[in-house]
Amino acid sequence: MNYNLNKFSGKEEKTSTYAALKSLLKLIAHERKNLLLALIAILTNAILNLLGPFLIGYSIDHYVQHKQYHGVLVFSGILLVMYLLALFTSYFQTKLMGSVGQRLLFTLRNAIFNKLQVLPVAFFNANKAGDLISRVNNDTDKLNTFFSQSLMQFVSSIAIMLGAGTFLLLINVKLGAAALVPAIFILLFTKIASPWVKKKNAVNLKSVGGMSAEIQESLSNFKVVVAFNRRDYFRKRFGEANQQNYKTAVAAGLANNIFLPVYSLFSSLAQLTVLAYGIYLISTGSFSIGLLVSYLAYATNFYNPLRQLASLWTSFQVAMAGWDRIARILSLDTNLETIPEDTTTRSPSLVEFRHVHFSYPDGKEVLHNISLKLERGKNYAFVGPTGGGKTTTASLIARLYDPVMGTVFLDGKDIRSYEPEERCRKIGFILQEPFLFTGTVRDNILYGNEQYRHHSNEQLEQVIKEAGLHKLLSIFEQGLETAVSSGGESISLGQKQLIAFMRAVLRNPDVLILDEATANIDTVTEKLLEEILGRLPHKTTRIIIAHRLNTIENADEIYFVNAGEVTRAGSFHDAVDKLLHGKLAS
Amino acid sequence: MQNKPSAEKKIKKPGLLSLLKPYSGLIALLLIFTLLSNAINLWLPKIIANSIDAFTTGHFAFRHIIMEFSVAVLCILIFTYLQSIIQTYSSERVARDLRNRLSDKISKQNHAFIESANPAKLLTNLTADTDSIKMFISQAIVSIISSVFIIIGASILLISINWKLALCVIAIIPIIGVTFFFVLRKVRGLFKQSRAVIDWLNKVINESILGAAIIRVLNSQQMEYNKFLEANTRAKDFGLSILKLFAGLIPVITFTANMAALTILALGGHFVISGSMSLGDFAAFNSYLAMLIFPILVIGFMSNIIAQASASYERISTVLEAAEPPETGTISNSLRGEIELNDVEVLYEQTPVLKNISFTVEAGTRTAIVGPTAAGKTQLLYLLTGLIKPASGTVKFDGHFISDYNSKSFYSQVAFVFQDSIIFNMSIRENIAFSDLVTDQSLEKAIETAELKEFVDSLPDKLSTIVSERGSSLSGGQKQRIMLARALAIDPKILLLDDFTARVDNNTEQKILENIKRNYPGLTLLSVTQKIAAVENYDQIILLMQGEIIAGGKHAVLMHTSPEYVQLFNSQQSTSNYELQPQ
Repeated sequence: MNYNLNKFSGKEEKTSTYAALKSLLKLIAHERKNLLLALIAILTNAILNLLGPFLIGYSIDHYVQHKQYHGVLVFSGILLVMYLLALFTSYFQTKLMGSVGQRLLFTLRNAIFNKLQVLPVAFFNANKAGDLISRVNNDTDKLNTFFSQSLMQFVSSIAIMLGAGTFLLLINVKLGAAALVPAIFILLFTKIASPWVKKKNAVNLKSVGGMSAEIQESLSNFKVVVAFNRRDYFRKRFGEANQQNYKTAVAAGLANNIFLPVYSLFSSLAQLTVLAYGIYLISTGSFSIGLLVSYLAYATNFYNPLRQLASLWTSFQVAMAGWDRIARILSLDTNLETIPEDTTTRSPSLVEFRHVHFSYPDGKEVLHNISLKLERGKNYAFVGPTGGGKTTTASLIARLYDPVMGTVFLDGKDIRSYEPEERCRKIGFILQEPFLFTGTVRDNILYGNEQYRHHSNEQLEQVIKEAGLHKLLSIFEQGLETAVSSGGESISLGQKQLIAFMRAVLRNPDVLILDEATANIDTVTEKLLEEILGRLPHKTTRIIIAHRLNTIENADEIYFVNAGEVTRAGSFHDAVDKLLHGKLAS
Repeated sequence: MQNKPSAEKKIKKPGLLSLLKPYSGLIALLLIFTLLSNAINLWLPKIIANSIDAFTTGHFAFRHIIMEFSVAVLCILIFTYLQSIIQTYSSERVARDLRNRLSDKISKQNHAFIESANPAKLLTNLTADTDSIKMFISQAIVSIISSVFIIIGASILLISINWKLALCVIAIIPIIGVTFFFVLRKVRGLFKQSRAVIDWLNKVINESILGAAIIRVLNSQQMEYNKFLEANTRAKDFGLSILKLFAGLIPVITFTANMAALTILALGGHFVISGSMSLGDFAAFNSYLAMLIFPILVIGFMSNIIAQASASYERISTVLEAAEPPETGTISNSLRGEIELNDVEVLYEQTPVLKNISFTVEAGTRTAIVGPTAAGKTQLLYLLTGLIKPASGTVKFDGHFISDYNSKSFYSQVAFVFQDSIIFNMSIRENIAFSDLVTDQSLEKAIETAELKEFVDSLPDKLSTIVSERGSSLSGGQKQRIMLARALAIDPKILLLDDFTARVDNNTEQKILENIKRNYPGLTLLSVTQKIAAVENYDQIILLMQGEIIAGGKHAVLMHTSPEYVQLFNSQQSTSNYELQPQ
């Protein structure tokens, strides 16, 4: 599956507006009741707004012209009641429609975030954080703008237009038809211009995503920018992205602004048509001045909302462009599906690789035909030069990726047949680059560990002590309550590795993989870690990836990983020999 | 009438408008076209009213009216389109320049500022906040000016037709103004809070992306989702409370405007009946009122944008107005490489991470800093690069403070290899030649020294291969060596290595250290390391523990004087004999 959101094949690029809208409406299917209520409020409001000028025109014709002030007062009373009613319908239409928009925004963001959680690591390798953030926030917001502000006006504009159009035709068919002719040109123009406008906006949203990615990268790497005195680098790189964004934004802005002048032109022409034709009709005696006055008002009632539709239509095109980008994420699925268990091929080992080949999507094969068996309760070490494939091998055991060919077995079964929950419970994997979530040490140690969640700090400290981890905890100034932040410098890389270590040990997995997990920890503390590993239950299998030899001397078996081959080293000395004299992969 | 603009001024902070000053030419042009097209728009009903009157009195000239009307319509088309072009250009330009100003400001700040300002918030500042201001310019300014203009124009025309009736209609404006004032004051606070929630949301998304691998290892997707749900629910709640206020505001405005229509009918009808007003005027009065209602509504919608923009501008201002660290240094001599620290203390959030640090490093010597995890080793290097500042005590290079040096000159001579891998998403060449002072020759030498040549040559695109931080293309050790090459490429006088050996295998490490010795003679080296074996023959080894220097000196001396050092040494004894002698 291609996970790069910005490199899609042409097929996915083209979605019809209708299909896009349909899939979008599915997301708000549960809002049907609210939408219906909102629609009623909008329609009532539109009718009330339309009736106003009609009643005014009527009373001018029947009472003002005939100098019957009493009738004027009666109609004023009726109007007052209507306006009071409109006060409520207008409130409800905004509130109902707006909250549908807000909830849609909420649902959409949740849907995307949820999708992000479903997608595998490969997806995150292929996309930049800033671009993804932009999709979750910026693009959904475009949809929100349309739904909470524009859709209501959209529906009410169309309702008013239809009503006004009907009135125009009802009062005088000929005049009405003449007044509506310019609308046909508008329709035609809209149909032709819309795809172009949408495309311009799509390009702009993409550059917004690119800019966001640029900011994200520069800010998180800011210390390098400072230490190499390349403050101009940040300015320059950002300046380029900014300029690019400026260009696409201007292009989109010019495209967006094309509707309004054209709509305005045609609506003015409609007014002229009504005036000229109306006066002609009056002169032939088939029309009255009073009717012409209200007729002009109806024509305005028809074309004013149409003019409003111009900007609403733009907002709709922007929203659709945003939706395309969002839908692209939503259309992706994990390539790590759980497959039904195959009882015919099983493995007696705890972990087995059977003819495994692997390559990352962007490159050549990094593991060639690997076969190996790891037994329960043993200590394994994977050594080898940098870039040899150690981390990749470990990632396959944790099923961060699936092999391109061959099978990985875990505890007898094909690893793909495990539900994620069960698989993750069996495997503890301390990653090479430790990552902390903003919070406390406690939050991070218990991260993803339901077992101790409701323990008090005292109880938890007891558990930590039993696991022999208390000495590690004492390195943190405020113990469990020490605050940490994901990007922050408040704690060192070594400390992060200690937290990751504690987190993995407390989960008590069947297989514990340490990928250079102690590389930045001092050797005295490292001894302590070894002791802790030694105290793990007998059945725990340990896989240690390292190039520092002292960390692997307790291994029962050593595998030498180099240039995509995994070979078993006879003994510790054999491994050392291989490591020192072997040809480097990189 | 007077009430309206003054209420507006309260809403916009003076700062928001001061932002427009450099663009006064564009904005003036924008206003001229807006006013022109609006003026003609006002003229249209007059043409219609005139023609109706002309018709009833029998002086109707059909061609004349068509001409007049067509000219007006054409002018409107031209002016509105010109206006929209200028509007797009000016708003995008303001946004672009504001972003550049922000990035300029951010780029001048020190590392601590970025940390405390929170990158997630800075991201919102540069994107969503700037967008709100852009929206203000592209939509609100023109809409409000033209609305106010239409309101004033229509009011004048109304007064000229019948002032008694006009005053009744105009009376609605102060009512609407006051309503706006109260609602918007409340909304602005809500907007500011909701933006803070968006920062929070960004942070959760960001962490879930950067921590994607560990989340999948631990199967903790649900937990991330719950975190996100909490932030998202807060965002939704803010959205709904803002919506509620606007849902109340708009009907009140419409109702007030409708009451004006009612007044016209009741009172105007009376005037027509009593003969003090013509029917044509009455019709015109009605259409002017229709014109009056729309701009009032527009102001209602725009108030939302104004409130958002001013809240955003307030947030941006805090960044723009932050004090810049002064650039005072003038020394640009070439460094000999002598470093002297005297009684230095470093605080992190009030707690000391380094205490009483005093030592000297002679030019051209090699110094190792060893010590347990969280001893403050990395902080010590940060201190030497000026990334953090001492709370007390002095840090001197060749007898001068870091701040006395011209920063360009200083950073072109002091190179730092960070512990955590920082790779930019660009080509390997750009990653290594990150400083702009790197020549082809020094690049070549750095690549060779970092033992990267073989690796680079194996890539199809060689040095032009694009790499990325989270991409799968590089192993930990390769990233580390690229970072070393980046530091060496500037031909430094002083090289600071932070746990460089952690991710590079012994064989390569030994080669690299020898390469450095050979290719960069006279280099002053400060190396934070875990492995004593590799630094036994260094000129000085400093043992750091819990932020304090426990011992310092040559290996042989420390073995006799420092029990802590001996303990550390012994912890590495079992296997280090294998690592000592590369073949």
